[in-house]
Amino acid sequence: MSTSRDDFGIAIRSALLQRGAKQKFSLFVLILVSIAVFSLDTLNLKPIKVLRSFINDGVYRISAISSSPIKFTSATKSFLTDHIFLYKENEKLKIELEELKKQKLKTSFLETENRKLQEVVQLDKKSVFITLGAKVMMDKNSPYLNSAIINKGSNSKIKLGMAVLSKGHLVGRIVEVNYISSRILFLNDLNSRIPVVISPDGDQAILSGSGREKPILEYLPENFTVEDNQMVYTSGKDGVLISGISIGEVNEDLEEKRIEVKLFSDPNQIFFVNVVLGQSTDVEEM
Amino acid sequence: MAINVKTFKEGFLRSLPLLLLIYICISEFHTQFYYWNIFSFNLQFIIIYYWILRDPSILGYGFIFLCGLINDVILSFPLGTSALSFLFVSLVAAYVRNATVRSTLFTDWFTFIFGVLIGNFITYFLIKNFSEMKIEYQSMLFNSLFTFILYPAFWGIFELYKKLINLKTYD
Repeated sequence: MSTSRDDFGIAIRSALLQRGAKQKFSLFVLILVSIAVFSLDTLNLKPIKVLRSFINDGVYRISAISSSPIKFTSATKSFLTDHIFLYKENEKLKIELEELKKQKLKTSFLETENRKLQEVVQLDKKSVFITLGAKVMMDKNSPYLNSAIINKGSNSKIKLGMAVLSKGHLVGRIVEVNYISSRILFLNDLNSRIPVVISPDGDQAILSGSGREKPILEYLPENFTVEDNQMVYTSGKDGVLISGISIGEVNEDLEEKRIEVKLFSDPNQIFFVNVVLGQSTDVEEM
Repeated sequence: MAINVKTFKEGFLRSLPLLLLIYICISEFHTQFYYWNIFSFNLQFIIIYYWILRDPSILGYGFIFLCGLINDVILSFPLGTSALSFLFVSLVAAYVRNATVRSTLFTDWFTFIFGVLIGNFITYFLIKNFSEMKIEYQSMLFNSLFTFILYPAFWGIFELYKKLINLKTYD
């Protein structure tokens, strides 16, 4: 019994301390170094943060270049798939166009009505987002992370928590800022939680990433029921995200008995994004 | 000149597994194989385990540590997380190498279970306890399972590669 324990001890000691002919470090030394690096990084010291920011910038650039062949393959695949389904998509678009024509007439009427009402209250508040365009350098879709790296960082006044839009809809927020690059955490990531409001009833909820394609709605009111055309917008309750940014449409997953949100912008199909730097509010004098 | 070309060729062929490991860590390669919300595998573990077991001089512990750091930056993990998990996989492989006289696919495959479970447990433990990131243990479990299942396939490929280039063991 003691012999087998001795053998185990000898084999482990040998594995930890032995260095091969071409090895400069033993496993033991490198494990200690890793623990030291880990401890320093989790302590969140400012010099370490700055150092990590520079390392991130460097690694992201190299990674963007080295992953370009994979990106090219993915792009070619999606290009071919799009072409195969072109006819089907055309038919679908025709139907959508008819729908939109009908809605346009309705919208025109509502616009006129809205203008008249604004004249009554003498308020014409026009709000626009101040955004910054950025290119997605690389995106990650793995069991651990749904995020993307963009080519703008603190040098372009990007800050932690800023909202990120794609085609005018929210896709995520900034969770890491380096000098010339930043990381976006997508809404469907497991770590994503944002306060939202559901129109038209104005119910409040938390949009939580589930690691899957569609994020889910949590902390809904008890009497909440899913209806047609329920849209989800940011509520701005966290004091970080600007309120009123469109996110997606409410869907009910009957199989898993949960309420999901079908995002307006698919995080897996993003090449360019807009980071919301702020909101400019102009009050026009009537 | 002929000797130089031969030396370069041999050096290049010996470095290929290391280059592959670095490329996998630095590129988005491994994230391209994530399907049905459950299928994912850790190719880095397979490469590290196989080559440490067969010939540790091919990868080198220093480079494994470096690859771990690169992987942490890319996946936004706290620095040192992947480095530690990669080094522990190497430790299991080095132990098996010291403890066994003759290894076969089945002995390698069986002992790989410990390597992959320890590696993923370290990642899960460190992230769960020392960072604000959320991580699903189910994903880790499926990742461990598929990494284990796929090991023989890569074992076959690497064995074939070794035979093709007739690698000499330096350690």
